[in-house]
Amino acid sequence: MVLIGNRDITALLDRAPLLDNFDTEAWELSGVELLHLRYEIDDSNREALLPRALHPTIPATVIFTAARYPDSPVGPFMLAQVRVGCRSAALPRGFLLRAYSDSPAAADALARRWGYACDVGDVKIARYHDRIVATVAKDGAEILRAALVDPEPISGGDVQYVANMNLARQKDGDPVLLQVDPEYRFHRAERGRCELAVFDRAAWSAEGVDPVYPIVASFTQCDTGFPAIRFVLDPNKTALEGTRKIR
Amino acid sequence: MKFGVFYELSVPRPWTRESERDVYMNALEQVRLADELGFDQVWCVEHHFLEEYSHSSAPELFLTACAMQTKNIRVGHGIVVCVPQFNHPIRIAERAAVLDILSGGRLEVGTGRSATWTELAGFQANPDDTKKTWDEIVRVLPKMWMQERFSYQGEAFSMPSRAILPKPYQKPHPPMWVAVTSPGTELDAADRGLGSLGLTFGGIAEQEHKIAEYRRRIKSCDPVGAFVNEQVNTVNFLYCHDDAETGIKTGQRLAGTFSYLAAQLLAAREAYPTRSYPSQGLLPQLRQESQSPGDGGRVPEGICIGDPHRIAEVVRGWESVGVDRINFLLNAGETVPQAQVLDSLRLFAKEVMPQFQNAPAAAVVG
Repeated sequence: MVLIGNRDITALLDRAPLLDNFDTEAWELSGVELLHLRYEIDDSNREALLPRALHPTIPATVIFTAARYPDSPVGPFMLAQVRVGCRSAALPRGFLLRAYSDSPAAADALARRWGYACDVGDVKIARYHDRIVATVAKDGAEILRAALVDPEPISGGDVQYVANMNLARQKDGDPVLLQVDPEYRFHRAERGRCELAVFDRAAWSAEGVDPVYPIVASFTQCDTGFPAIRFVLDPNKTALEGTRKIR
Repeated sequence: MKFGVFYELSVPRPWTRESERDVYMNALEQVRLADELGFDQVWCVEHHFLEEYSHSSAPELFLTACAMQTKNIRVGHGIVVCVPQFNHPIRIAERAAVLDILSGGRLEVGTGRSATWTELAGFQANPDDTKKTWDEIVRVLPKMWMQERFSYQGEAFSMPSRAILPKPYQKPHPPMWVAVTSPGTELDAADRGLGSLGLTFGGIAEQEHKIAEYRRRIKSCDPVGAFVNEQVNTVNFLYCHDDAETGIKTGQRLAGTFSYLAAQLLAAREAYPTRSYPSQGLLPQLRQESQSPGDGGRVPEGICIGDPHRIAEVVRGWESVGVDRINFLLNAGETVPQAQVLDSLRLFAKEVMPQFQNAPAAAVVG
């Protein structure tokens, strides 16, 4: 039957955030800028990148995002993520490997409330005439440099972003996958070529993720946020067996 | 109402030396039986790289085998991907003509453009361009078939004057269709005088408006071919059993397996934002209703599973909104044993099909 993840999540759990509970209130954030790149990856290890609850896509992909949130309950912050494109049963998702935020308060809130494995780093988005560049640095070393090249306007209605599946630990020690599925209201959208200049796999817990074929990059201005948790999964069971509705 | 069978040729893992052959041989046995039972048509898709979901990359060969093993059933070559990186239009015309000859004039040609990044990127086709190339190719195919010599200067391709041979057995040419998944494509079909080959499952009410618009619009069409093919063809699942509960349960397993296999693929729209793909296409249709990973198992209305009475009611629903033909997907991932698939076909032909035919019912075999 279909391909299914077989990743040993032990190593990821060591760095997975400790979750407060599933009662997080939503953050609704406006004026967000979001750079999104997707690459096909070497598919020889595609099942090994995902826990049992998730399926690889065909072809396997990795998603790089960097976002500027101009305001939030913890103030403005930047957030960069690396996710593996996947399916939770039949639904499109992205399995978070690691995230970085320039705001310690945001990193802490995202970790405790939405299960983001989020460290503090220097995340920037810079716009040039012919490209939009995201850079992430940790301890002074650049760990990601990704760009949308030659932007062209498109309709926001043509853009589709997938929800997160974030691996976290509960207070009883059990692992859990949180489905973080924000909605997007797009005000502006552009599309262009992907360019990946720096990708430090170790810094992103992305060993085995080898981008081999660029798909496309998009840059949007949108209203979005971090919603209340609706569904959680047992990472060690299939999604059909291990999904629990929270609200 | 006419009935047909429809093949994706899905092959579940683990793949063995025999597994693909078994799927093909089972399908051929089903087609032979369908022909004997009076089914009108067999359609086979063209897909590439779609692991497990569809191993049907050379449908014209499968359909040739179908044609050579049957007497009456029409062979639906569709959809043929009308994107030059997949199929040069000359080769589409040539292969279709040969299939029409070998089948004795039983060919139907379905056209389309692929809806997955998986396939488009594999052939290095730009998702932005596929609608344009489809439009160009459907307009030249009839000319390639009807003109002794053909020359062309276009955007997708150009060619000096050549005789594209052989010519189809059916004159002036086989009926042409277009796959309809994205909203508005039914109007594209109508404007060009093409049959509407619906590839969405379920949703009778949703389809009613589309069909009405198609019927209205085609009255004033400018046909790309020599004639207008005003017909609405749709696809459905079929599992028919004397016991309603068994029929529904098995049919749900069939539909669920199909949906699950389809969902693992990367839709063009998901991967590549473009106005060329306003919908997800066929692949994720069945997951649209669900909001959580565990929401699987529901079967939308309009699906032909259950006992003959229930299925007949569903078919009447489709008939009432103007559908002319229903093609049935009989299996997915070989989840239904072959003997049960054949029994389902026989029961449908015996109990349901006669209710929708003016002519005497076909003899039931077996």
